[in-house]
Amino acid sequence: MDLKTLLQYEWGIMTPEFTILGVATILSLIDLFMPDEKDRRLLGWFAFAGVIVALISLVGLLPVEVTSILEDTFRLDSFAKAFKFILLAGAACVILLSMDYQPAEGMPYRGEFYYLFLAALLGAMMMTSSGDLITMFVGLELLSISSYILVGLRKKYVPSNESAMKYVINGGISTAITLFGMSYIFGLTGTTNLKAIAGQLSTVIDMGQQYLLALALLMLFVGLSFKLASAPFHMWAPDVYQGAPTPVTAFLSVVSKTAGFVIVLRLMIYIFAGTPAEGTNSASMLLSMQDYIAFLAGATMIIGNTIALRQRNVKRMFAYSSIAHAGYLLVGFVTMSMFIIDSIWFYLVAYLLMNLGAFAILQVIADKSGSEDISQFAGLYRRSPLVAVAMGIFILSLAGIPGTAGFIGKVNIFLGAFVTEPAHYVLAAVMIATTVISYVYYFGILTQMFFRPAAEQTPVKLPLGVMMVVIFCAIGTIVFGVVPSIVYDFLNQFEHFGDFFS
Amino acid sequence: MMENAWIIPLFPLFSFLILLAVGKRLKENSAYIGILLTFISFVYSVMVLFERLNAPTLKAEQVWLTIGTMELTAGFEVNPLNSLMLVVVSLVSFLVHMYSKGYMHGDERFPIFYAYLGLFTFAMLGLVISPNLLQTYIFWELVGLGSFLLIGFYFYKEEAKAAAKKAFIMTRIGDVGLLIGMILLFWEVKSFEYADIFAAVQAGTVSETMITLSAILIFVGAVGKSGQFPLHTWLPDAMEGPTPVSALIHAATMVAAGVYLVATLFPLYEASHIAMLTVAIVGGFTAIFAASIGLVQTDIKRVLAYSTVSQLGYMMLALGSAGYVAGVFHLMTHAFFKALLFLAAGSVIHAVHTQDIEKMGGIWKKMPLTAPLFLIGTLAISGVPLFSGFFSKEEILVAAWTRGNTVLFWLAVVAAFFTAFYMFRLFFLVFTGEARSEVKDAHESPFVMTLPMLVLGGLAVFAGYVNTPWFGTFLGDWLTEGTDMHVHHEAPSWIMIVATVVSLLGIFLAWLMYGKKSLSRDWLSSRMPISYHVLFNKYYIDEFYQLTVVYAAKAVSMLFKYIDRFIVEGAANAVAALTQGIGKAGARLQNGQVQMYGAVTIIGLAALVVILALTGGYL
Repeated sequence: MDLKTLLQYEWGIMTPEFTILGVATILSLIDLFMPDEKDRRLLGWFAFAGVIVALISLVGLLPVEVTSILEDTFRLDSFAKAFKFILLAGAACVILLSMDYQPAEGMPYRGEFYYLFLAALLGAMMMTSSGDLITMFVGLELLSISSYILVGLRKKYVPSNESAMKYVINGGISTAITLFGMSYIFGLTGTTNLKAIAGQLSTVIDMGQQYLLALALLMLFVGLSFKLASAPFHMWAPDVYQGAPTPVTAFLSVVSKTAGFVIVLRLMIYIFAGTPAEGTNSASMLLSMQDYIAFLAGATMIIGNTIALRQRNVKRMFAYSSIAHAGYLLVGFVTMSMFIIDSIWFYLVAYLLMNLGAFAILQVIADKSGSEDISQFAGLYRRSPLVAVAMGIFILSLAGIPGTAGFIGKVNIFLGAFVTEPAHYVLAAVMIATTVISYVYYFGILTQMFFRPAAEQTPVKLPLGVMMVVIFCAIGTIVFGVVPSIVYDFLNQFEHFGDFFS
Repeated sequence: MMENAWIIPLFPLFSFLILLAVGKRLKENSAYIGILLTFISFVYSVMVLFERLNAPTLKAEQVWLTIGTMELTAGFEVNPLNSLMLVVVSLVSFLVHMYSKGYMHGDERFPIFYAYLGLFTFAMLGLVISPNLLQTYIFWELVGLGSFLLIGFYFYKEEAKAAAKKAFIMTRIGDVGLLIGMILLFWEVKSFEYADIFAAVQAGTVSETMITLSAILIFVGAVGKSGQFPLHTWLPDAMEGPTPVSALIHAATMVAAGVYLVATLFPLYEASHIAMLTVAIVGGFTAIFAASIGLVQTDIKRVLAYSTVSQLGYMMLALGSAGYVAGVFHLMTHAFFKALLFLAAGSVIHAVHTQDIEKMGGIWKKMPLTAPLFLIGTLAISGVPLFSGFFSKEEILVAAWTRGNTVLFWLAVVAAFFTAFYMFRLFFLVFTGEARSEVKDAHESPFVMTLPMLVLGGLAVFAGYVNTPWFGTFLGDWLTEGTDMHVHHEAPSWIMIVATVVSLLGIFLAWLMYGKKSLSRDWLSSRMPISYHVLFNKYYIDEFYQLTVVYAAKAVSMLFKYIDRFIVEGAANAVAALTQGIGKAGARLQNGQVQMYGAVTIIGLAALVVILALTGGYL
């Protein structure tokens, strides 16, 4: 490849990525030369501005047709555009949260926070646009390695160190399994380009090769379930969520999980949806392996929701709740309905709004009291009615009560489970039953906020950044719950992601 | 008027929003905002009702959400059934708003109480005007949320908190049935619209089994909301909420939502014989089951709660026996007299600060307004002739008889006897006899509390006359115009006589056992010499009843109580224990050791691979 071909590429489609990369580089330089005693918060606003600029440039890219550069390793299709919106919006919120994060022992490495965030975000964004196993894996590792450091960023706080350690080890196992799965794919096709892989595999009729492909599917899915925090790779989540700094927990539960779904959708649909199973039988591999994923989805919902019942530490409870939500999302994935990407996208948006909003309030309360116990929520309504109402909205949405975005998201997935042939009754039943179980712990928080006397009377004041996040998320949760057509009108321009394969 | 009916639910919503924002500053003046805004809703509802009397059904909708090719709509509808419900709900809500100004006086969370009331009223009115199942479901859940907040209003009471949670979760179990039934219907008909569903059912495009299945699943939702067996246990516990809330939510409106839902979907139920029979059996059984438990309760609000459960059972029995008019009619009259009874009970509790009827007595003279009003409510619920409950209950009995549900008919008759008995037992214990310690300084409630009771008292007497066998069945004709639902049954006249006799018999027995103590023997013997002979034998009668009826009733009551405690709650506990067991096991596995986590993953992967190997590829 000579310079001329290199310059011919439409580099413009990478503007959001370049923006993030540039801001991260500049931030790391500023942080290096800035005197130690200077407040690093300014860097946060800078990072925030960078994310907003990237968002705006992404809006500018919306009308662009499917384009791929660098030998198909980077492609901008509607799938990539849609999911980058979630990633960027989530990252913007997380940066706002991190600016007001004040752990008890102080935050001397605040500068690192921001450029590591941006590096992780960059990895996630590359994953959405990747059309090649190699770049996809590099994006995944960029996200993972940055996250490992972020989790351990409270260097003088033992639980933070411990959770970083656990995260690294589990991440290593996950990477190994994923790579092992990928090696099967490469071995069978001799290429890493997703489109070429899909083309070659669509003609595989040898039973032996199909058996290996089924193995590869399981390996890939189990390896990637680490990022989703779903069974059987969910166990790291509670420990890591609890020990990590709260904004990082928010990041892991929203941005990192979204990235996980991005890669699962991209890889699974590309590689396995068109691959025949059982000899010449035309049924696709993905459909015939559905039951395995359905089983894992069911297990994830049951595990997440039942163990959450026993938690008193709210961060830990949210870790299990986030496992449960991964399960609901997987139901959407299993059903393989016509609108699978639409409904997962909507649910991720709703999840972003409600979960980040809840984490914002949790962060302020935990910082203030130094404890993450559920009793810290007692009497919140009497201390600060508006904060309690906002938290109430997020909880109701997480529980899937009508009038909130969470409800519409669940209905979408639920309807999807019925409209496909064959309908997934069992899975839908598990989803309903576990949703009912989840009311118990979600309403435990509501009970604390509204029906308990407050231990202390001082009102909870939200700092500016947190306030912005809470307002944004609360409005979004309600508006998308009452007039979801806004979101659907927005999604319509992607025409159900019809350009996914082109 | 009618084309703007959607505005009716918005007034209480404004009340909620205003009070949420500035309630703290308004303090007890919050009441005026709530009262005024619900009054506007009420006036508007009455105007809509009158306009609807001579106008066709109006329906307006807009596309709300498009998923692929499916279009979901949102809008409102004004038909005879829901214009009637609008008036009932907004009226009772308005009266309860007014009453609460006196009852909740001095509570430091006064504005919050009114805010919650507004939220609930909004949701309930929204539920009533919904033209499709999805919208109904959304408001259905909102109503549950309002109920949850209000039951737990006295949050410093442990029982109130537990009751709020129990109510929410129990009704949610029913809601799951509703949701599944709803989705099944949607799947078949490709629409949530009531009109489309009925059209499809009539055209026969939906299979018989599917109709039955979805109708029964939706009925499960109604069972939860309306406190029918076996999901009734939350309703008596919900009495931990403030009494005006019990009157509004747990007597007149929300608990009737289940009945309303079945009534709204009546064409669907009519298409399935099995579904109808299920509704009738559950209703009839609940009616007698709850009535027999009511016989032995000693908490004034719990007696009323069980009577509510029992009366809702009557309504279900009516609907299940194709007595559409009877069910709706009883829903209306019951809303008035039960709200009256609760408000009057609240007035008593307000005065004597206890709910234990064993500690009350002799309040008649001290509460010269409350006492006669309570008596009117008691007469109405007991089905004494000329009171509203008499007409609607008789209509239900006729429906059950003409449908051929003979067993259920006789069960309902016995339940009517029980009702008259326990209601008058309550009345005599509370208002007559010796004044006990708790009631020495009792006095009448303020005017703001008695006025709503007077209005309801009037309705408890006269509301029945809109549909009587004597003066014409105006309500029935109007509710069913344009349909073939209402067939004028030539009711055997003996049913009316039986209904009257059992209710009077119940009252008489209650009087013998509880009322007689208030009358000295001299008083009776001197003024009513003829009765003296009867009185002479009173022990004989007493013991006779004691041995037969009362013991039998007590035995049945105990039996049901045990069923309630061990079987129903046992099943609930078993499910809960299983859930917690999984949680416990899972939490134990989560021991904090990273090697364990890795092991779980690898074992999980290995298990999947082994299954893959064993099944030779695919499941």
